[in-house]
Amino acid sequence: MKLPVADLREVRRHTSGLMRSYRGPLTTVAVLHTLAALGGLAGPLILGNLVDAVVAGTTESYVIRVVSIGVAAIVAQAVLIKIAQRKAMVLGESVFAALRERFVETVTSLPLSTVEQAGTGDLVARTTNDVDRIQHAVRFGVPRLIVAVVTILLTVVASFIIAPQVAIAMFVGLPVMIVVTRWYLRRASPAYQREAAAYAALNGTITETVEGARTVDALRLARRRRGRVDDDLREAFDAERATLRLRTVLFPGIDFTFVVAPVAILVWGGYLISTGNVTLGAVTTITMYTFQLAGPVWELIFWLDEIQVAATSLARIIGVELVETDRTPSGEEPDDEHVVARDVRYAYREGQDVLHGIDLDLAVGERLAVVGPSGAGKSTLGRMLAGVHPPTGGSVTVGGVNLVDLPLEDLRGHVALVTQEHHVFVGTLAENLRLADVDADDEALRSALGSVDALTWAEALPDGLATTVGSGGHVLTPAQAQQVALARLVLLDPHTLVLDEATSLLDPRAARHLESSLDAVLTGRTVVAIAHRLHTAHDADRVAVVDGGRIAEIGPHDELVAAGGDYARLWESWQQE
Amino acid sequence: MLVAVRALPLPDPGTPPLTGPIRLLWWQALRQKWILLTAIALGIVVFVCQAVQPYLLGRAIDEGLADGFGSALWGWAALLLAVGALLITASAIGHRFDVQCWMRGAFGMSQLVGRTVSESGDAITEELPTGEVVSAVANDSLRLAEIYAIAAQFIGSLSAYLVVAAIMLNQSVELGLIVVLGLPAVALVLSFLIKPLQQRQSAQREAAGRLTTLGADTVSGLRILRGIGGEQVFTDRYRVKSQEVRQAGVRVAGVQSLLDSLQVLLPGIFVAFVVYIGAMKAIAGEITPGELVAFYGYSAFLGWPLQIATQTLQVATRAHVAAKKLITVLRVEPAAGATPGTAPLPPAGAPLVDETSGLRLEPGRVVALVCEDPDASAAVATRLGRFDDAAELATPVRLGGTLLADLDHAELRGRVVVAEATPQLFSGTLSDELDVHGTATREDLLAAITVADAHDVLSSVPDGLDGVLPEKGRSLSGGQRQRVALARAILTSPEILVLVEPTSAVDAHTEARIAVRLAEARAGRTTLIVTASPLVLGEVDEVAFLDDGVVATRGTHRELLDRPLDAPGGESAARYRAVVGRNLDADAAPETSDTHPGVTEGAR
Repeated sequence: MKLPVADLREVRRHTSGLMRSYRGPLTTVAVLHTLAALGGLAGPLILGNLVDAVVAGTTESYVIRVVSIGVAAIVAQAVLIKIAQRKAMVLGESVFAALRERFVETVTSLPLSTVEQAGTGDLVARTTNDVDRIQHAVRFGVPRLIVAVVTILLTVVASFIIAPQVAIAMFVGLPVMIVVTRWYLRRASPAYQREAAAYAALNGTITETVEGARTVDALRLARRRRGRVDDDLREAFDAERATLRLRTVLFPGIDFTFVVAPVAILVWGGYLISTGNVTLGAVTTITMYTFQLAGPVWELIFWLDEIQVAATSLARIIGVELVETDRTPSGEEPDDEHVVARDVRYAYREGQDVLHGIDLDLAVGERLAVVGPSGAGKSTLGRMLAGVHPPTGGSVTVGGVNLVDLPLEDLRGHVALVTQEHHVFVGTLAENLRLADVDADDEALRSALGSVDALTWAEALPDGLATTVGSGGHVLTPAQAQQVALARLVLLDPHTLVLDEATSLLDPRAARHLESSLDAVLTGRTVVAIAHRLHTAHDADRVAVVDGGRIAEIGPHDELVAAGGDYARLWESWQQE
Repeated sequence: MLVAVRALPLPDPGTPPLTGPIRLLWWQALRQKWILLTAIALGIVVFVCQAVQPYLLGRAIDEGLADGFGSALWGWAALLLAVGALLITASAIGHRFDVQCWMRGAFGMSQLVGRTVSESGDAITEELPTGEVVSAVANDSLRLAEIYAIAAQFIGSLSAYLVVAAIMLNQSVELGLIVVLGLPAVALVLSFLIKPLQQRQSAQREAAGRLTTLGADTVSGLRILRGIGGEQVFTDRYRVKSQEVRQAGVRVAGVQSLLDSLQVLLPGIFVAFVVYIGAMKAIAGEITPGELVAFYGYSAFLGWPLQIATQTLQVATRAHVAAKKLITVLRVEPAAGATPGTAPLPPAGAPLVDETSGLRLEPGRVVALVCEDPDASAAVATRLGRFDDAAELATPVRLGGTLLADLDHAELRGRVVVAEATPQLFSGTLSDELDVHGTATREDLLAAITVADAHDVLSSVPDGLDGVLPEKGRSLSGGQRQRVALARAILTSPEILVLVEPTSAVDAHTEARIAVRLAEARAGRTTLIVTASPLVLGEVDEVAFLDDGVVATRGTHRELLDRPLDAPGGESAARYRAVVGRNLDADAAPETSDTHPGVTEGAR
């Protein structure tokens, strides 16, 4: 299952909503920048004025007066820029902070079934790459864009006010600029994204090589890995060459506009001066304005490009909000702790049932082992029994209530799914444990750790329970991490546990040591253990052999061995005695 | 295409000097000196063209406009256009060369890092954290090369500055001096702000980095979070950190806006001053109105070289830091085989002997190695693989009587392959990743897949053998990855194959099938399997039982199970039964909580 990506309309709707909620600060920033840009118009105006004055003959005091006005304008502009730019950046920071906080909130409340199915890769990418990519556009792009647009508009307006006949000549290169820019912008986003993807692939290759250094050495992969780096660089080169080609068109196109415009103004202005329509000063001012326009125009094009790229990232971020909830609590209360599955069917793809009508009645407090070949549907059954997915047919109930009709907080108190996947969150050990019970005091945490045999090492940590663990902090061994996960379960205290060992630890050494810790957690609960080690089955009250999405055999270990079916044969090859 | 770009990467990135960052930067500069010099020449043309524009404009105003609409105006206009055309062309080609300069440097460095990490073996992860190595390519190679990309602009703007200074000095000593002295003064004032700005920026970057890590961490553990609760705790923590980043951003905004403001104010005042002096001179008749316009133009233009100079300073600092970091990565030497072999390779069929444990692999036998402590048996296998020459000085392993450390590393790897317990898969098409040396036929591939019982992988990778595995084979389950790695190891088809816990992550049904097929596939060829699984042990030719670091007894699985206590080696056989039996029945395990991993491993 893939996470949704928002379409263009949704992105627009979202953006304009965001703009509306920041309308006040946005307006302030725009007004301040407009005033600042007005100050920026003074220079060429004063120069033109002085040129006319010099031609006509003037005095020293006039020059001082005019230049003083100019200095005042510059000072005013500088002060306004200081205020406006600060406000704009603060605004950018606020908008971006709100955006990312809302995103993380959405992600952490995604439906269980989505989280289980979509995997975390895509979400991690959205949380890191996509959030990073829009930050540049939001934090710097928005303020710069405002300045560029305001400056361009004001400069053009000022030119028309000073001498409309001359100002017309400013636009002589505009058609070329528009054509070239449109051509460029239409191609830029995919080209730059290809570039980014190429460098991401290169980083991936290096990461793989470094993390698998032992494998690279053991299997003599050095030449292959070197070749892979070269392949990635070749792709990066092609991507770079493609964007370079785009810029080889864009740069001369824009440069052309800013070369022909002043020349056109000079020639056309010269004609107008000769007919007495305008002054030399006016032509000078507008020529200088044209030169001044180059900066903001480049900035505008640059940011349009960046914002296009950011929009695709935004679409992926907003997309997460489009995931629909997978359950609506019905308000019913379970009568007891009895979990029953009736005719459970499930299909990941329509028409392709993975489970074909499974009936299972779990006695309270029993241990059921589920065995069977890979791909038989064991894990899927486990997820149904834990209420992660609503079954496509049939029902799984606890005390007469459908698991998926329970609010999530209540469901967790009834049934928990335990996988071998463990994750130590960045934070203190105590914080890691309190996820399961926010109100647990230190004593409760200690006792939970103690019951899984983890208290000794936990107290030996540099700061005990307050030690920062997880990525960047104190590194826990896989076995310790697993014990932390088990201690969380003790705190959560569900009456039924579904243990899925399908993705068992690759390293069998740690696994062997964990068994006693696990036993402490299982005591007194109903347990469904999806096992691939047969001794788990041997110890269970009942064994269910799942094959092809059906329960092929079910019963106590001894009975199944006596029955001489598949299970018995497998058991014998294990025993050999 | 205006100018062809030479295809990269180059076949050979060269051998850089690693004695110092400046040496490294200079070495790379020399390797690309022609494109660098071309870029600089074009940069000079571009900036000088820009610098003479105000001069031409001034002349056009004086001689063209002032004299009315005539041939003089057309002449100057044509000249402006011609200079403009030269500017456009040189700028477009120059950009291509700038980018080439950057690519040559960045790609060359990336290649060098790629070569180092491909050949270093374990040494790279022992000496440097993965993140640092990845950032060597992701950041440092690219940053280092920026200095080659900006070189042309820097030298170009420097020449433009000199040209303008010369013109102004020529026209008015006073104005010339103002430019020559005034601009560096402005640059100096602005440079005082650069440092606090960069400090605040890096503070914010760090805070943002931590926030990203927190976000990624939360999402990585999302399954767990959604399974047991605690979402609110996490969103609250994220919000707090997010606001810290925002605050850091606000602190940046304070300095940044001041810098932005001064970048308007100081050059603005400078221009106003030049205009004032110029206007006075114009009134006095010392200069023409056109020259006044030219002066304005020069002083406005000079802000540009000023910016580039500041930027170059930052780029150069970053390049220096990046070069230092790259050197630490490039200096890493392989842990094994750093020096060429001194002894000839023994003929095929030579026995492989681990002297420390007394384990002797006779040619043609499929042997299993069992130990109560799986770490101890895995350590023997690791020694057989010769992964670290220095660390294994004290634990000699000999092939046909010759120390492994004296043999040619690459040739040895062709003879002896050790596949460890947590092998890594790499991204690429499945068939490519299975057949790493490109020697197998389609039938070989399918046969190896059958041995590893990995046919289910073919259906879970789109397009089967031709399908693409993502990074580290992430789309596969742990058991699937292990089986693909097993098939890969089998396909290397070495004279001696050592497999460590090859079936630890697969279910019993699958393990039973693999055990039979693996023994068949390697029958008659030297093979060592480190395992304690009775399903596998029952299929091998012989089992060696490792007790207290040495091989205590050998025999077939059956024989060891049946050997009476009073027979020779009977006690070892009994211990063997205890170790193997634990896999059958957890309750019978002799292990107690005193060997708990949490205590011992946590204390390391």
